[in-house]
Amino acid sequence: MHAMFRSRLFWIAFVGCIVALLLPLKVSGYILGLLTVAYYFGVFSMAWDLLFGFAGEVNFGPAFLIGLGAYTAGILNGYGVPVYPCIAAGAVMAVIGGVVLALPALRLRGPYFGLTTLVAVLIMMNLIVVFAGVTGGEIGLTVPDVLSVNADTNYYIALIFMIVSGIILYALSRSPVGLILQASGQDPIEAGALGFNVTKHKLTAFIISAFFSGLAGALLVFYMGTASVGTLVSISVGVQVIIAAVLGGRRTIIGAAIGAIFLIAAGEALRPLGELSTFIVSAIALVVILFVPSGLLGILTRGEEHA
Amino acid sequence: MLALQILVDGFAISALYALGATGFTLIFGVSGVLNLSHGALMVLGAVAAWAATNELHAGAYLAALFGIGSTLIAAFATYFVVVRPLQTSRAIPKEETEIFVLTGTLLWGIMIQELIAYFFTDNAKTVLPIVEGVVDIFGVRTPQNEIFTAVICWVVIGVLWLIVNKTRSGKAVLAASMNPRGVTLLGFELSRIYIAIWAIYGVLAGIAGVLLGMFLGVSSYSAGPLTGSAFSIVVLGGLGSVSGSLVAAYVVGYLETVTAYMINPAYRFIPALLLLVAVMYVRPQGLFGRR
Amino acid sequence: MTRLAVDGLVKRYGGLVAVNGVSFELQGGEILGLIGPNGSGKSTVMKLIMGIERPTAGSVNLDGIEMANWPSHRVARQGVGIVFQHSRPLHRQTVLENIKLALLPDSLLRLFADPQVDRRAREIAARVGLSHVIDRRPGTLPFADLRRMELAKAIARDPQVVLVDEPFAGLTPTEVATFSELIRGFREDGRAVLLVDHNVKSVAALVDRVFALYLGERIAEGTPDDVMRNETVRRVYLGGSIETAARPESTFQDADTPLLKVDKVSVLYGKAQALQSVDIHVHEGEFVSVVGLNGAGKTTLFNAISGLVPHSGAIRWRGSALQGKTPASIARGGIVQVPEGRELFPDMTVRENLDLGGNHLDAKEAAAQLEWLFDLFPILKSRQGQVARTLSGGEQQMLTIARALMMKPKLLILDEPTLGLAPVILELLSKALEKLRQTTPITVLLGEQNVTFALPHADRVYVLEHARIVWEGPPDRFAAEAGTGYL
Repeated sequence: MHAMFRSRLFWIAFVGCIVALLLPLKVSGYILGLLTVAYYFGVFSMAWDLLFGFAGEVNFGPAFLIGLGAYTAGILNGYGVPVYPCIAAGAVMAVIGGVVLALPALRLRGPYFGLTTLVAVLIMMNLIVVFAGVTGGEIGLTVPDVLSVNADTNYYIALIFMIVSGIILYALSRSPVGLILQASGQDPIEAGALGFNVTKHKLTAFIISAFFSGLAGALLVFYMGTASVGTLVSISVGVQVIIAAVLGGRRTIIGAAIGAIFLIAAGEALRPLGELSTFIVSAIALVVILFVPSGLLGILTRGEEHA
Repeated sequence: MLALQILVDGFAISALYALGATGFTLIFGVSGVLNLSHGALMVLGAVAAWAATNELHAGAYLAALFGIGSTLIAAFATYFVVVRPLQTSRAIPKEETEIFVLTGTLLWGIMIQELIAYFFTDNAKTVLPIVEGVVDIFGVRTPQNEIFTAVICWVVIGVLWLIVNKTRSGKAVLAASMNPRGVTLLGFELSRIYIAIWAIYGVLAGIAGVLLGMFLGVSSYSAGPLTGSAFSIVVLGGLGSVSGSLVAAYVVGYLETVTAYMINPAYRFIPALLLLVAVMYVRPQGLFGRR
Repeated sequence: MTRLAVDGLVKRYGGLVAVNGVSFELQGGEILGLIGPNGSGKSTVMKLIMGIERPTAGSVNLDGIEMANWPSHRVARQGVGIVFQHSRPLHRQTVLENIKLALLPDSLLRLFADPQVDRRAREIAARVGLSHVIDRRPGTLPFADLRRMELAKAIARDPQVVLVDEPFAGLTPTEVATFSELIRGFREDGRAVLLVDHNVKSVAALVDRVFALYLGERIAEGTPDDVMRNETVRRVYLGGSIETAARPESTFQDADTPLLKVDKVSVLYGKAQALQSVDIHVHEGEFVSVVGLNGAGKTTLFNAISGLVPHSGAIRWRGSALQGKTPASIARGGIVQVPEGRELFPDMTVRENLDLGGNHLDAKEAAAQLEWLFDLFPILKSRQGQVARTLSGGEQQMLTIARALMMKPKLLILDEPTLGLAPVILELLSKALEKLRQTTPITVLLGEQNVTFALPHADRVYVLEHARIVWEGPPDRFAAEAGTGYL
């Protein structure tokens, strides 16, 4: 425990949280709205990092899990189910979807696992368009209820959710379970020889990742009031999640959140440049992974641990 | 007749898919890279050809060459700026090189796509066709452009086959895809082989892009779906197998055309996806996959 | 009391039979040595016991419980610990954390570690001698400490059976002594210990019994002395009586500047010293054999010469240094290697493989060379159009050698060409080498553990043992001086 208080990572996270909690006092509703979305993306990325950084499995279609959570919640709400049960249902659906995807996918090695996850997103995208009557198709789903109309409330909900998720996921990553996951990801044969059922642990990691992704997706739907193929279930969303995690620093959990916030903040800050903004953000991300593979967090905590 | 229409249209679309997929699979087979900027490179070729006609008032042939050349240069840039530095970086542990290269090419593709949108807007553009007019094939009115597309695709694939199977350098490249260490031991510099393969890839993607631009038109938004479809075809056919990609391209192309004509154009991508799922479950290495 | 009983164990990989009906028993408080050269099946037997591979047939019985088709994690929990040949640490965790991992239960619910785990991990670390580095990461540790960590992980959960693969590979003599003590400690604990190694001599002092394997089958069993004296074992490992045909060193012209001079070359693979200050030289037209067992360093030496691994020291070819040249340019410069793994192009025909070898020659030269090679290896001519993947092991070996010869090398390096080949093929290869030696001015550097093959053609012999050259001399003196130390 003492080591934790001395680590730079802890203090960066702590200071970051304090700043974030105080922001609504100084900053406009617009920026708060932006950060709200950023925080949800932070959870998407942290959930992805648990799977990649620890279990060593690359999920190319996080949008599949996110979309399951978002659309389940949204569609149910359209039928009159109240908000919180919808959110719960969304998370559960994402977990079920995650298991259905993971069971066969985990038997595949190398790039095939990633490909399967990518295919899942493509299928989901097409299904949404095909069943437009229920899902709103390409135009999108409009959700009758929202979490709150107040920008500050929404901000705090998102922030607290991200902080709590972050703590849980981080604690998991540091726990014995996290250690077993790392072994399963790094060297499954050795992990097996040490007595660990690697498939069981990886499946669990998948379920946890799915749960948080789905939950965040469902919450996001009730914040934005809509969900559509462009905003939530697309390859580009998946790309953003992955880039955020890699950019922030894989295997750190916290880094994924930082990466997500950075990407959205940078995208916004560069908005005056028009279409070039996406270009510049992508270029920066490329430069970071070329020169500092350990990511933003790696730059900030350099020298403390071997990445 | 509908059947003939499907036959003809399907053939042309599949040929285009085949050309695109062949390049994609060659790069994977020889240098182990799943180039996620593939679609962007194709779009770049098409847009460059369009720009040559629109801004520089070049003729159709010259514009096409300009387009292919642009993709070739961009392909080299992809190798030297993104792929090679990541593959040789000592800061990245070996197991993670693949994901870094994937993320890198993804970012690179987005960058190209956004640059195109910035300079030329994201509206759809068509490239000036080299061949115009309509011709009658057994009662089906077919644009000559479409026939031209299919013919060129197959000519290029044929030339590629000849190079790889009949010339010394081509065989060396093929051998490198089977065993890179083997060719090194025989005195071939791998670095030169990699440059050769990226050059071939650049030309293939460039031709595919320009033809697509002539046939159906592109916009900067096409980049993603193009990479996605090349990806699906290559997985279906088997990563690293050129013959697999050719067959899979036709399977996918025809599935799409049949669905579009007989069910609903909006659903045309679904059967291919379902097939992909089935293949992933039953035979993940694809039809002819080796690895 | 029998702890582990292996009965009729068989493992087939497609057409290849790696293990063919192996049976033995392992008692508690006993150390059994499972000995065999590369390709004998000893590592496969170990993997079968540990559940890393599933047996095609046979039983693996631990204290009466049948484990033959269990996944490895179940076997481990039942009471078997394994030390792999190559260390497998978790690089981002400290030594303490690595050992703690070995102590964790296979549970999904543990969020907090049991304090017992920490205490126990420290005890184990102390036992194997890692207390002083317990908070360091594997990347900072010397080779021997990494091996200690493997031992620690293996015994962490107090297994009844301990499997150790090549316990002394890469260790200095002092370290070997310390490790022997640790392993003896396991025996004293009452555990059943199975050591797998390729060299009877190195484990002779440690084991109670030896079980010798060759080509997947048992060829001898008994005390170390019995096994070392066994006729079959001696023939198979040492190669029987040897006729030599050496030319004295003085007959070679380039006495002052040998064609190839390897000067104090050392190679480090991560932490392991693969080569240590090795000095060899080869004269133009000479046939030099480097004799050594698996892991001695032959392949590393050849890879250093071919430019495939970085090394310290100097390698001079025709007087000028090879440092900094690409492997392909070294090959074009006349040093052609026939590697242990053959590295053929599996989906290309025999003819295509050969043509690629001749790609730097002009058409006429290539055709002439091809003719000569078909004369040397007639079977390749008849199988010209066949795809390389479908050739037998012996034919593939001939193809690899022929392909290398297509390059008209000045120095031909052969790395373990006899590996896994049947005796009748060895005859063929031997004759081909003989012809090569007599009809061409080619220089050959041969690396072999099969002495019957290595000695008859050699002018000079080096013995490479544990990364060092320990003997140099003419082949007729080998049996007398180096042979006894060899088995």
